[in-house]
Amino acid sequence: MSKLPEELIALLHDTGSIKVIATIDGEGHPHVVVKGSLTTLDNETIVFAEGLEGSLSNKNLVRSIWFDKKVAINITKGLTSYQVKGRPYKYLITGSVFRQLLDRARERRGAEADIAGVWVITPEEVRNESPAVRSSLAREERGLFHSHLDLLRHSE
Amino acid sequence: MSHNQESGVEALSEKYADVPRLIILKLDLQRRGITLSDAAADATCTPYYRGPEVTAFSTKETAVRPLPGPILLRDGTSVLTGPTDSTLLKPYTVDYIDGKFYVYDNGERLDEVDFSPRPEFYGKLTSRGVPMESIAWSRPQRLDLYPYRYCHYWDTREQCKFCGFFTDLKTQKQLAGDSYAKIVHPEDLFETVREAIKEPGRFSQINLTAGTDYSGEVPFENEVKRYVEVLQAIGRNFKTRRFPSQLIAPAYSKQQVKRLYDETGLSSYCPDIEVWDKELFKWICPGKEKWYGRDYWIKSALDAVEIFGKGNVYTNFVAGVEFVQPHGFTSIEQALDSNFEACEYFSKNGVVYLSIVWRPGRGTGLAGQQQPPLEYYVRLIRGLVEIRKHYGLASDNDDFKHCGNHGDSDLERLN
Ligand code: SF4
Repeated sequence: MSKLPEELIALLHDTGSIKVIATIDGEGHPHVVVKGSLTTLDNETIVFAEGLEGSLSNKNLVRSIWFDKKVAINITKGLTSYQVKGRPYKYLITGSVFRQLLDRARERRGAEADIAGVWVITPEEVRNESPAVRSSLAREERGLFHSHLDLLRHSE
Repeated sequence: MSHNQESGVEALSEKYADVPRLIILKLDLQRRGITLSDAAADATCTPYYRGPEVTAFSTKETAVRPLPGPILLRDGTSVLTGPTDSTLLKPYTVDYIDGKFYVYDNGERLDEVDFSPRPEFYGKLTSRGVPMESIAWSRPQRLDLYPYRYCHYWDTREQCKFCGFFTDLKTQKQLAGDSYAKIVHPEDLFETVREAIKEPGRFSQINLTAGTDYSGEVPFENEVKRYVEVLQAIGRNFKTRRFPSQLIAPAYSKQQVKRLYDETGLSSYCPDIEVWDKELFKWICPGKEKWYGRDYWIKSALDAVEIFGKGNVYTNFVAGVEFVQPHGFTSIEQALDSNFEACEYFSKNGVVYLSIVWRPGRGTGLAGQQQPPLEYYVRLIRGLVEIRKHYGLASDNDDFKHCGNHGDSDLERLN
C-alpha cells in the first residue's frame, strides 16, 4: 500500500478540516455524510468511527465490504481539497484501533459519547481537488477556451 | 446424502451472489473448525490476545497455550468456532505471517482474520480469591457468564445428544465437583462484571447460560431463584433498570418468566428448542422431552413474548442435527422445509428462531456423524432471514458482534 500525499495527511490530521464520505445504497443512490473522526493512523489507510450500527451510511458500508463496492471521501480546508476513492477493508468492533477512536470521540464530544465500530478504508485513487490545482490542470489540457474574457483583459 | 462433490466457499459465493462471501466463510469455519499453525498459536499467546488460563469449563490440567477469544472477520463478524483435530471435518488452518492472521484451506489463502483481544479483567481475582476469567468469558462485545456448571439431564443420561458442555469431552461425564465448583457465588459474578465493564467500549451485552437444574418444589424453582439472585447481583452494576442481557435457559412457566422479568433487569430470554421436528426433538433432546416436551418449550417461548415483547425472545436450533442417522432427514429439502416452517411459526408469534452450525464434537453422542454440506447452511440462512424480515423481526441480542454463532443474524445488517 502506498503512502498518502503529505498535504492530504496533514489535512486528515487537522481537526479543522471538513471530512465527508459518500456511499451508495442498494439501489445505487448516493448518500453523503460528514465524518469528523475521519483520519489516518498509518499514513496509508483511512479510518473513521461509525456512531450507529443501523445508520444508512453504515449499512451502505457493510454492503460495500460484502459486495465489493467503492466509497468516496472528501477532505477540505479553505482552498485545499482532496478526494479519495477506495474500498472498505475492515470494520473493527473491538481492539486497539477501536479503542483509540472511542477515546478520541469521548475527548471531542464528552464522556457519554459512544461509537459502534471503526471502518478502515483502503485508498485506491487520490485526487487533488483544490480549485487552483484543478484550474491549472484544466488550462494545461484545454488551454484558455473556458476562461471568461474579463479575466483575460488588460487592466485599465 | 453424499458430500463427495461438495461446493466450497468460492463456488457458493458465485452461485448465491446475494450472500456475502465472508458470511459463507464464517459458516464453514464453524462447520469444519480450525487448527492453528505454531506461529498462530504463539501469536495468540501474546499479551494482546492471550486467552484465559482457567475457564468455567477448565479441568485441573493447566492450559499451556490458552485459546484466544473468537475469530473476527474483516467485516467485524465474530465467529464462534474452535480447534478440531478430526480428519473427518477437514479443518481450516489459521496462520500468522508478517504480523497478521490468515485463514487457509488446503494451502490456499482465503482471507485475513483476527482474534478477539484479551479483556482487561482477565488475570484479576474477586475479593473471595476466584480468578475472574473463570467466572466470565469474553467475546468481542459480549460477556458470557455460567452461574451453574452442571446439567442434570446428564444424571439420567438424558442429555441433548449433541452436547459436550461441562464435560472433558472424553469421558462424557459432568465435571463439576471434581474439577470446579458447581455453583458460582453471586458476589463473584457481581465483582467480575463490575471489573469487566470498566473497560471502555469493550462490552455491550451480558449473556447467561448454564446447565439445567429442574429441582425444586415446583420444577425449575431452584434454578429460577438462582437466576433471580444472580441477575439482581449483576444488575447492581448498572444505573439503568434494564441492562442489555440475555438468559439462555430451559422452558419456564409463564409465572417463572414473569418473575425473571419483574424482579431483575434481564432484557431477553432464550429457551432453545434445538431441533424443530417433533420426533427428532424427542430423540435428540430426551431431557427436554421429559421436562416437559416440545409443546411446552414452544408455549414457553410464545408466552414469554407477552412479557419481554416481540423480538426479545429467542430460540436457537442446532442446524445439522436434523440429519443425524438413523432417524434424521435424508434430504436437504426436507430439512429446509422443517426449519422454515419453524421460523414462520415462531416469527408470526414474535420469537426469533436462530440457527447455530452443528459441528459434531468429540465426546458427544453424535461424534462421527456426517454434517450436511455447506450449501445447506447457505440456503438455510437466506431463507430464515427472509421470513424474519417479513415479520419485522431483528436479532439485536444475537447479532454479528454479540454472538458469533448465527450466520442468519449476520445477514440482518442490511435490513
Ligand atoms: S440442556 Fe442440553 S445442551 Fe444444555 S447443557 Fe444440558 S444437555 Fe447440554
